[in-house]
Amino acid sequence: MRGWKGAILFIAYLTLLSFFVLSFYAAFAVEAQSSFSIENSQIAGKLIFGTVVVSELLMVSFIAPALTSGAFASERERQTFDLLKISLLSGLELVLGKLSAALSYLLLLAFAALPLEALAFLLGGVGLAEFLISTLMLFMTALFFCALGIFASSFSRRVIVSTVLVYGFNIISTFVFFLGIFLLAIFESASAASSQPNPLAASFFGSLLWFLFSTNSLFAAFASEALLVSENSLWLVNGGGIFGSMNAVLLSPWIIYVVVYALGSLFLILFSAYIVNRME
Amino acid sequence: MSAAIEFKSLYKWFGKRIAVNNVNLEIQPAEIFGLVGPNGAGKTTTMRMLVTLLKPDKGEIFVGGYSIAKQRNDVRRIIGFMPDSFGVYGDMTVSEYLDFFGACYKVNPHQRQKLISDLLDLVDLGPRRADMVDTLSTGLKQRLGLARVLIHDPQILVLDEPASGLDPRARVEIRELLLEIARLGKTILFSSHILADVAELCSRVGIIEAGKMVAVGTLSQLSEQVMPHRQVKIGLLARLPEAMALLAAMDGVRAVRELDGVKYAALEVDFIGGDEALGGLLSALLAQGLPVIHFSEATKNLEEVFMRTTKGIIS
Repeated sequence: MRGWKGAILFIAYLTLLSFFVLSFYAAFAVEAQSSFSIENSQIAGKLIFGTVVVSELLMVSFIAPALTSGAFASERERQTFDLLKISLLSGLELVLGKLSAALSYLLLLAFAALPLEALAFLLGGVGLAEFLISTLMLFMTALFFCALGIFASSFSRRVIVSTVLVYGFNIISTFVFFLGIFLLAIFESASAASSQPNPLAASFFGSLLWFLFSTNSLFAAFASEALLVSENSLWLVNGGGIFGSMNAVLLSPWIIYVVVYALGSLFLILFSAYIVNRME
Repeated sequence: MSAAIEFKSLYKWFGKRIAVNNVNLEIQPAEIFGLVGPNGAGKTTTMRMLVTLLKPDKGEIFVGGYSIAKQRNDVRRIIGFMPDSFGVYGDMTVSEYLDFFGACYKVNPHQRQKLISDLLDLVDLGPRRADMVDTLSTGLKQRLGLARVLIHDPQILVLDEPASGLDPRARVEIRELLLEIARLGKTILFSSHILADVAELCSRVGIIEAGKMVAVGTLSQLSEQVMPHRQVKIGLLARLPEAMALLAAMDGVRAVRELDGVKYAALEVDFIGGDEALGGLLSALLAQGLPVIHFSEATKNLEEVFMRTTKGIIS
């Protein structure tokens, strides 16, 4: 990230983020058209905060793989991979080194977005829990997508191949996600609407649907926020309130999101280290 | 004293093709060993197994007594490797490049700067320490590669074609640098297509072909193996048939051939015998009043040994 590449990405990121925040704020100001009130100020604060967090989540999941998909593939292209491999660094150390380089750049982007996020605190409406949860989710998203890029580059000989693999995986997993949601929603509603509803089946499909939903960053962020505001519930949710026929307590989506992405990252990091470490 | 490097019944296959076929070899500490062979003979594969990049399919390699299969980190600590083609980080300065690899080899950060200065002086890159690596010529990059290999002070250096792609001056400079490094007591195993370099630098040579080590020894031992007789070139002003007949009848003479392409009449004699007997050949010719104008023994060079040993087979 020496030279202009990092600076250009940095400027583009902040410009886009500022544009989103300004657009939403302008739209809200036009819509509100009233004089100052605490309620309006708090809504504006939540809007700005939400815009920054969602934009960051989307941009991080787009930028992170680009930062790491060349991690080892570019070393192979440059013919420096062997020199690293025979050094005293273990595969895990090499992977963690590459990961921390990409994460520190993303951390810089997140820090740079803090003044925009701070506008929300000025206007009010955003609590500490929301800030901490969004930061944790953002970190896990960055970690997972960085680890995904590193994993693809750990076995690819060319940067272009690992980049295509990572973005291809993102597209396919999004497609599978929506297909899964669609199928599970059909099963769940069919199970609930049957003449003799089976509470076990309804709970199973409902939980699965909830789990799948929670692995999506946008759903997890919005649903966690909605549950926090409406039910003041940070950790657990009553399943019956979401799926009528369900009789179970569910975890708040952000918890599922953080755990799934943390475990996914751990698996990708360890598997990448194994691939980098092995003798051919 | 235990061997610095020991190959034991080493095999490597790539699919059905055998790349290294039962290589057995011992290289002693502080020895400069040259590995020569045609393209595709298995030199690079052998070296890559030695430096723990490739896994042998059969057999074992010990480096400084450590097994490459079981004690990989110990091997890496005492070995330095320069591949035949290696990249550099163009966006680093010369000094940063060495510092980076120093960190990779966990060299004490407090000692690193002094070490880098010493290494840059050794390879004559001191004045270029602040230059970007990308701006260095091929020869200078090769020298930087040698400095990198030495960053963790390894006892054994494995250099794959260190002089390839260099102009004659850079080649000579690299050769001198290798001799200087050898004087530090390092064991050097290097491969090269430039047989003159190998002959000049190496205490022993191994010739590898189709994955097999076909000959190992000092240059004179190898010469003895492939050319057991001495070869003498004799130039005459006239009376060539008479000289041929005389020589053919003498003890120790195995063959006499007339040489073409020489501006005077000349003969090549294959001869077995000591220096005294060799002197007897000249005396006999002169005693018959033959007009000898040239009498010399051909020096046995590595190129000739190489050509006679190898058949141009690619594994």
